[in-house]
Amino acid sequence: MFNSFRSASKRAINSKLVTGAVATSALTASYVLYQDSQVAEAMTAAEHGLHPPEYGWSHNGMFDTFDHASIRRGFQVYREVCAACHSLDRVAWRNLVGVSHTTSEAKEMAEEFEYDDEPDDQGNPKKRPGKLADYIPGPYANEQAARAANQGALPPDLSLIVKARHGACDYIFSLLTGYPDEPPAGVQLPPGTNYNPYFPGGAIAMGRVLFDGLVEYEDGTEATTSQMAKDVTTFLNWAAEPEHDERKKMGLKAIIITSSLYLLAVWVKKFKWQPIKNRKIVWTPPRK
Amino acid sequence: MSAFTNIYNLIFKRNSTYVASVFAGAFAFQAFFDAGVTSWYEAHNRGKLWKDIKGKIGGGDEDEEDDDE
Amino acid sequence: MLRSLARNSVGLKSLGQARTLSSSVTALKSNYDSPDFSHYLKKDRNADKTRDFTYFMVGSFGLLSAAGAKSTVESFLSTMSASADVLAMAKVEVKLANIPEGKNVIVKWQGKPVFIRHRTQAEIEEANDIDISTLRDPQKDADRVKNPEWLIMLGICTHLGCVPIGEAGDFGGWFCPCHGSHYDISGRIRRGPAPLNLEIPEYDFADPDTLVVG
Repeated sequence: MFNSFRSASKRAINSKLVTGAVATSALTASYVLYQDSQVAEAMTAAEHGLHPPEYGWSHNGMFDTFDHASIRRGFQVYREVCAACHSLDRVAWRNLVGVSHTTSEAKEMAEEFEYDDEPDDQGNPKKRPGKLADYIPGPYANEQAARAANQGALPPDLSLIVKARHGACDYIFSLLTGYPDEPPAGVQLPPGTNYNPYFPGGAIAMGRVLFDGLVEYEDGTEATTSQMAKDVTTFLNWAAEPEHDERKKMGLKAIIITSSLYLLAVWVKKFKWQPIKNRKIVWTPPRK
Repeated sequence: MSAFTNIYNLIFKRNSTYVASVFAGAFAFQAFFDAGVTSWYEAHNRGKLWKDIKGKIGGGDEDEEDDDE
Repeated sequence: MLRSLARNSVGLKSLGQARTLSSSVTALKSNYDSPDFSHYLKKDRNADKTRDFTYFMVGSFGLLSAAGAKSTVESFLSTMSASADVLAMAKVEVKLANIPEGKNVIVKWQGKPVFIRHRTQAEIEEANDIDISTLRDPQKDADRVKNPEWLIMLGICTHLGCVPIGEAGDFGGWFCPCHGSHYDISGRIRRGPAPLNLEIPEYDFADPDTLVVG
């Protein structure tokens, strides 16, 4: 009896100690990180790139789909601007059908490219126009060719880039629109690089590519730098998460079903336990 | 006999009819629930979906066969 | 379950009358005093309604669980069906305008050769002129084509799976070099070891100029 009381009070002291230690380390860590963020030296938080602001993407909400008109414009930006250097290996032409393009549009675009066909009877390699089942071709034959064309830097594949970078959409958008006219005073850039505060380290091999009016949108949207950056980011998010719209709908269904099941389970439990919990035991002591 | 008694005699009294109606109800519910959630979801996202912008593209594609993507 | 509720709600005051629902014989014989629960009961109590409601709630619990279990099983089963990229590759489109009359074209479909022949009028007549009762695998030409101008079949010999040579053999059709099977202009076996006619794959004309195999 007494022992158990002692161990209980001991446990209470222990848990207070743990809570205190966690709180102290959290406070210390945030203080150090804050101090680090004030200077841009090596081994500081700033070395990992400026934290992008949170933007109000139209697909941010729990039940919000992608803006498919934006995906369509974004694909145009990818095709006319990004595709000069970046591949999109995991997206096939057929994936665009029913998302941003019609079957015939996707077919037409696929046919503009040539793909390897089965060799002919003499064994000579043959080419054929692209089909819906083909994947969108990259600008370079292989990694070496890509590096050679870009002064040693490899433009990353964009299929999963939104998932592959911290900050996701916010980061991509900030990076595309975040090039200052000239680097801040005192910044020393390695040759062949450009300054971008959002890029970890600040020196990025890719230059600013989006300028107002660079593409002409078919739906009449004005092609400002930020509009194009927003559209292409939405498109890249779709490329990384093509299941996005369906997933959120599934989530909505799952929430409705599981919460109803929970409420019903509570009711059934109460019902089942009612006669047991309401039981009364009466004992009348025998008279002497 | 009240309506409640009728329902009881019709469905709940026998385990066979009870279980059968639960399973039949599950099938009906799924179809109804899918349709309901989908229509809410599409209303919630009206204007952003592919089917909303499809009509505006290039004067509308004539016959769009529904692909199994 | 329900029975025990009913027992409780009726109250245990006067045994023998109220406990008719009980299954226990000893309970009926009991002469202990029991407390009175009747003041817990609602005044305007509709026993049928309460019972229906209870069954409904338990039934709904089962219904939602069944629906959830069903869609779980369905999603597991759907992983067994062909994925989208396989389905996309499963069809081959051929532009027929490029194939002149009296010419053979071989396309690859799911790794297998598919013979496409643009038959001339004479060849169609020749294919129809044969008395099919004399054939090893009797089949009318009309049963082997959707449009008599176009003969589409799998280019795999039904004997041992070689690829026959076009415009060869004794019957103006195909000839298998491996063991000498002769096929006619409708792809039917005429002489040699092969037991069956050349197989016809599933195909369709998307429009008069486009053939979709698969």
